[in-house]
Order: sequence, then C-alpha cells, then structure tokens
Amino acid sequence: MTTETLSLPLTETVTPQDQDELVQRVTDCFEQQVPVYPLGGCTSLDYGLTPQREGIGLSLAKINRLIDFPARDLTVTVEAGITMATLAEQVAAEGLQLPIHVPEADQATVGGVIATNWNGPARPGFGVIRDYVIGISAVDGKGLPYRGGGRVVKNVAGYDFCKLLTGSLGTLGVITQVTLRLKPIPPRTTTLVVPLSDLEQAEQLLSHLVDSQATPSAVELLSGEQWQNCAALDTESPWHLTLSCCGSEEEVSWMAGQLEKELQEQSLPAARQLSDDEHEQLWDKLVEFSADKEDPLIIQATMVPSGTTTFIHEARQLDPACSIQAHAGSGIVIVRFAEFPEDGLSRTLVGILQPVAAAAHGNVVILSNPSGREMTSRSTWGSIPAPLSLLSRIKNNFDPGNLLNPGRFVYP
Amino acid sequence: MVSPTIAQVVGLLREIVGTENLLTSASERIVYECDGFVVEKNSPDVIVFPTSTEQVARIVQACNTADIPFLPRGAGTSLAGGCLPVGGGVMIVLTRMKEILEINIRDHYAVVQPGVVNVWLTQALQGSGYHYAPDPSSQSACTIGGNVATNSGGPHTLKYGVTVNHVLGVEAVLADGSIAVIGGPAGEMPGPDLVGAMVGSEGTLAIVTRVWVRLTRDPQGYRTMLGIFESVDDATHAISAIIGSGIIPAALEMMDQGILVALEEAFQFGFPLDAEAILLIEVDGLEAGLDTQRDDIIRHCEEAGAREVRMAADQQERLKLWKCRKQAFGAIGRLSSSFCTQDGVVPRTQLPSIFKKIQETSKKYDIRIVNVFHAGDGNLHPILLFDERDPEQVKRVMEASGEILDACLDAGGSVTGEHGIGVEKIQYMNKMFRESDLQAMRQLRDAFNPDNRLSPGKMLPTAGACGMEQIHPGRQAAL
Repeated sequence: MTTETLSLPLTETVTPQDQDELVQRVTDCFEQQVPVYPLGGCTSLDYGLTPQREGIGLSLAKINRLIDFPARDLTVTVEAGITMATLAEQVAAEGLQLPIHVPEADQATVGGVIATNWNGPARPGFGVIRDYVIGISAVDGKGLPYRGGGRVVKNVAGYDFCKLLTGSLGTLGVITQVTLRLKPIPPRTTTLVVPLSDLEQAEQLLSHLVDSQATPSAVELLSGEQWQNCAALDTESPWHLTLSCCGSEEEVSWMAGQLEKELQEQSLPAARQLSDDEHEQLWDKLVEFSADKEDPLIIQATMVPSGTTTFIHEARQLDPACSIQAHAGSGIVIVRFAEFPEDGLSRTLVGILQPVAAAAHGNVVILSNPSGREMTSRSTWGSIPAPLSLLSRIKNNFDPGNLLNPGRFVYP
Repeated sequence: MVSPTIAQVVGLLREIVGTENLLTSASERIVYECDGFVVEKNSPDVIVFPTSTEQVARIVQACNTADIPFLPRGAGTSLAGGCLPVGGGVMIVLTRMKEILEINIRDHYAVVQPGVVNVWLTQALQGSGYHYAPDPSSQSACTIGGNVATNSGGPHTLKYGVTVNHVLGVEAVLADGSIAVIGGPAGEMPGPDLVGAMVGSEGTLAIVTRVWVRLTRDPQGYRTMLGIFESVDDATHAISAIIGSGIIPAALEMMDQGILVALEEAFQFGFPLDAEAILLIEVDGLEAGLDTQRDDIIRHCEEAGAREVRMAADQQERLKLWKCRKQAFGAIGRLSSSFCTQDGVVPRTQLPSIFKKIQETSKKYDIRIVNVFHAGDGNLHPILLFDERDPEQVKRVMEASGEILDACLDAGGSVTGEHGIGVEKIQYMNKMFRESDLQAMRQLRDAFNPDNRLSPGKMLPTAGACGMEQIHPGRQAAL
C-alpha cells in the first residue's frame, strides 16, 4: 500500500494484468459483496467524502496500453490507466493533444480525469473533458462490462455512457478503456499579464472581455501568497489577470496587440507579454495550483462567470490570507485556505460560501481537507443540481450492492 | 373508437390543457402519425399541447394513473421515428411552449422552452456578438427540445460540436410526473453528467421542458470555398491533408455528382455538372488567420488534384451556397419520387473505401445512390433513389441500405451520426453493441423510466428478441 492510498480502508490492493482479469475481479467482489475502490494515479483520493467500508483497492496500473492511434482521424483509443503525461507524449509525436490540463499529469490517469471530471484552465478555448470522450468501456458493480459510443467523432447510437461516466467518481462503473478526440497543438501560445489593484478593476476587465474581439483560451484571476514567488507576476500588485492566447503566429500576435489596445481604451493597466519561458513557468503553476495537499483546506466553486469576483470577495473576507485562482472566463474559483476556518465548515461553506455561489447559479465542493474535519455530504458536495432520488436509482441499477467507491459521493 | 381508459384520460387532459389545446378526432390525429420517417405510422389516441411545465407534469401523472403510454414531440422533423407513438397513447406536443425566456450575454447562456425553433434563437441573438452553434439543416423548422432529444448535429459540428456540447442544463418532467432541474447555467456540476446522458436519449428518459444552452462568440470572419474534383478519391485525400495539417474547418461537406445535378436544377448556382465531387469548405475565426488558412486549403486541394477551387465572393454568395447545401434533400425530389437517406459514420480516413463500397452496392442492387456527406466528421448521407410502387425495388433498397450500414460498422463506425436510432434502426443495436451493453442501457432507462410508459418501443431492442423486421425503406424529406 502506498501512502497515497492510506486514506482508503483497503484490505489489499490487486493489480489486474488486463481488462478481462479486471472484470473477473469485480465479479468476484460482487459475489462476495466486497467494496471495490478503483485506483488510477491516486491523485484525487481526497476529493469527496472519505469511504469507511473495508474493501479492495483495484489498481489500473497495468491497464495502461495505447490501443489504437489513427492520428489522421484525430482520435486515440487507450486503456483507462494510461497517465495523462504518457498520453500527451504519445499524441504529441503527431502534433496532437488532449487539451485538458490536470495537475500531477505523470501520475493522473485518463480514467481518473474522466471519473473526477477534472478540467484545467483552458476551458474557454478548448472546453472540458466531456467534449473529448467519444467511446467508453466500463464494468458495473455486478461485474457487467458495458460500453457506449464508439471510435468515430459523431455518433448518436444508444445512450451516451461517455457522458454518464464523466464525473461519476467510480461509482457507476470502473472505467477500463476510452476513445478520445484530439486537437492539433496550436503553433503558438502566449500569455499576457495584467496587474490589477483591486477586484473592481478585475470585474471591469472581465465584463469587457465578453465583448472583446480577441478570444483568449484561458482567463485566470490570481491573488494571494501562493502566487508571490511566481516570477511571471510582479510582486507589487495584489491581483493579476492572465490572458493566454493560442493559434497561429498571426492570430496570436493580432490578439496580443488587440488586447493591449482594448486595455488602453478601458483605461486599465497595461499588460505585459510573457517570454516563452515565463509563460511555461506560469502555465505549470496554473495547472498545479490545486494539487498542494499541505494546505488545510482547498475548495472549488463553480458558478456563472459574472459571479466570480463577488465570490472571491466573500472568500477573502473569511480568510484574508487565502490564495486564489479563478478560471474567471468560466466561473470557476479555487480557494486555498491558509488556515482551517475557525468557524468550521458548516458555517463557512454551507452557511456562507455555498449560498454566495448559489446566488450565481453555482455550487462549492471541497477538493482537499487533510484534517478530515466536518466532512459531511453537504459541506463536501454542496447542493447537487439533480434529484437525489434519480441519482440513487441510477446508482442502484448499476451497483445494487453499493460496492463501487461506497461512501464517496452523495448517494444515501 | 377510443377505449374507455383513453376516454377517461381525455376528460382529465381536457381539464389540464383546455379544449383548445387538445386533439382527438381521427382527421386531426393522422397528422401526428409519424415524423420524417414515414414508413411506420401509428396515430396517437390523443394529442395535447401543454403551455407550461406544470401542465406537462399533470399530463404525465394522468397517463401513469391510467397506465397508458405517452411521448413528447417537437416539430416532428426527426428522421428515425423517434416520435412515432408506438402503442398509441398520449402525444405531448411541446410547440406551444415557445418562449425564449432569457438571453444572458455576460454569462454566455440562453434559457429557452422546448418548442423554440432553432433558427428563432439564431435570429434573437443577431447583433449580440454571440450565437447558438448547433445548426441542423432543418433549423428553420426543428425545435430546440427536439434537438436535445436527438442530439442534433449539422454542417458546423466539425469545429463546434453537436447539441450536447452546448447544453448546460435542463428542466424536465420525469416519467413519474415529477419536475426536475438538472444542471443549470453554470454548466459543470459534481457527479455523473446526467444532462449529457439525457441529451440524445430520444425522448425515452424524460420530457425536457426548459433548456439552458451555451452561447458561442461569433467568428470575426469566414472564408468559404468550393473545391471541384475529378474523383471522390481526390476529394477525400484533400480532406485528410487539410485536417492533417492542423486546420479544423468550421464545416467540410462533400457532394457527389448525382446530388449536384439535382441542386443545379433547383438553384442554378453554377455547380460544374461533370465533376465527380465537390467539397464545400468553410473556415471561420479571427480575420488575422483566415487568409493563411484559405491559402493552405487551396494548396491542399490543388495538391490532391482539384480541378479548381472557387471562393464565395461575398456574404450573399456564401449564404446561397449554404442554402443549396441545407436544402439538398429538398432538391432530391427532382431525381426521384421516393428516397431513403442513411446516416452512417466512418473514421474520416475511411471515406474513400466506404464511397467505393457505396458505388459497388449501387451497381450490385441496381439502385441509384447519390451522396452528400458531412465529410469532415466522416458522417455519410447516401441517398437511395427508388420507386416505392415497385415492391421488388423496395426490397433491393432495404438490402443495399443494410449492406452500406454493415460496411460502416466493419470500418469501425456507427449506423447513425445524427439522425438517431428511433424505431428505424433498432435492429442495428444488436450489431453495434453487445448484449451486456444493451443491458446497461436498459439499466439507465429503467432508472429514469421504470415502467417504460414514456416513448416505449424506441432505441433499445426488447431483450432476447431479434428486433423488428423492417420491410420498407424510409422516404425522408429533410436532412
């Protein structure tokens, strides 16, 4: 057992050599009514409620082959245990990418990214993982192997299990294989950094971007101690908005020029275009920000973009020393608390921050809480916008023994 | 003659929606006996036109109490029998729930009722700098509720994706008559992506009564080109070269000689009638990159052997080109009284071999086939022309269609890219999926629709049965 899996009540960890053996393991567990905890790269085991029932860890470490890579079709079929870094390396050889940026990519697996619906900063330009999964195979809690979709980019035959399993947290099936759409790696990417003195300026810029002629593929609002040692950002400004543009040389240089012009017209501070090295360094930090497990509490809020600055303001009130990364173009705010909230999670999250997000049609979830204190369904998952009765019926049909990752999600 | 149960339900339904929103006479019901798939027909026992979500919920509750089937319908432009009332029952037509409830540019979403016609939203957004991306060819008639049910595509899916990529949330009446809000304007939410699973479920999981859709920034500009090729092989090589070079056009459509002749007769656009294939290629985005992309595309076409690459001179000519493309199916009437359109998909690099297969099939069965493809997606629309008065021809059309779809499956593809399974292709589900896959699909359906009163007889073959034997091809009027 590795240290990463210590949070799980595992009696043993098994590592099937192939998908058939994995199906057999799950079938055996169903017959013996033993819980199964699927393990990919173990980078997100602190996401969600902490399971209590003893069971086996089912490692996908050996279910990690690249099955088919018809590069000209812009698709790839891989087993779910392949790491994001290995996948990226393989497809980059043909100039292609899966443009989903996740922390700890050398450990995080494709199956895990789909199961946790993890999406990085590039949502405005490239969308989310659900847009890229076009075929999926999984094993349900009875050992029933099932698949949906296929290997073509357009397909409406049957129910879309690719979508159902996105975000399913390993509770409706162990994902074993997927087919993904890919995109060409853009020839050029650059980042502009706009130093800002306060949230009002940030709001002014964000509202302006709605009508901007430029179309940045990532719009990040950053603040707090965790960003202070980042060479790409200056130390004086309390807030930074970064705008990453990608495309051809022509497109990128036009966008950079246009954004500079628009900032001037808006009487906003001038932007600094980062060097390629600085861009790389900043991007790395933007991707890895949420993964620091040392912090006492990390939360992620999702809401409509116009709610972003109000939410950040409230979070700052609760913890003036917190560090913030907002995927501001998409209404996602990640808050790393410097201290575990004194008033506790039910007051801080359920009482204050969840309602603030809800007012912007959103929700707040806990990404990491190493102390494990006050992890209730409500504090951890917020309010899920779907009837619990419906979710439970689906869960029951796919996993009648409640054996797949039991205790992780909101099911009763 | 209505059965006693139906008669009782009609009374209840009349109370719910009012006399003006209910049809029961045979002559009125016959209008609703099928969608664009006209082979199998069955009139619903009663048709209701609810005007609110609460009415839909009460209608569903009434159907449940009386134990009679019910199903939703939008404009009825679907092509696979998705709104065929199998077993009769109550048809819930959502075209009187047609309000655009909200347009929010700051947060890039709109909220619409299911009966809003796709193009109404396009029109409402004109000048805002944003648009709703899915643009099925039937967009001037089809409803957004229907688009959600069928996960509609259209020519611009290559770059922008299909309906599911643009739906953020739904309000729906579930099969038990309860009202559920799933997802919402913020999009991403924790837990299984139920919104994604509901899109494309062909009305078998719930009745959508409100939709939150994503709005997309308008491109600054377009370049629209027409590549003229001596052979389909050359055209498909050009497609591979364009996409292989890293350009993702907004649309990449192929039309063969057969369809060009019909289009030219209908629209006099000036299409060359001796070319074997033309590609309609459109790139969009920032003006800054478009001329380079255009030049690259022209070069790739020429290197692949294009006889000529023409440019749409202005917006007027561009729109005329798209009008031709979107009305291609209307023009087929000039070639044949009856036709049957298939909707197979293959990996895009398999286009040359599948086209060859289609030509061979055409010869083998002596059935004329013309083609219009969403080539960039590998989505084929071979159109089989025939005379439906000749039962022997009809039989050959069925066999030829089956052979083409089987070839799509052999090439690693699908039997439907955007039209859906409905009742038309239900017998192919056993070919595309294993029994365990279908069992998992039934598990999902049963969680939403445990009594299978909502849209029965669709998409999933009955367990253990080998599917309905289809005896007659479709005669479809639109793409």
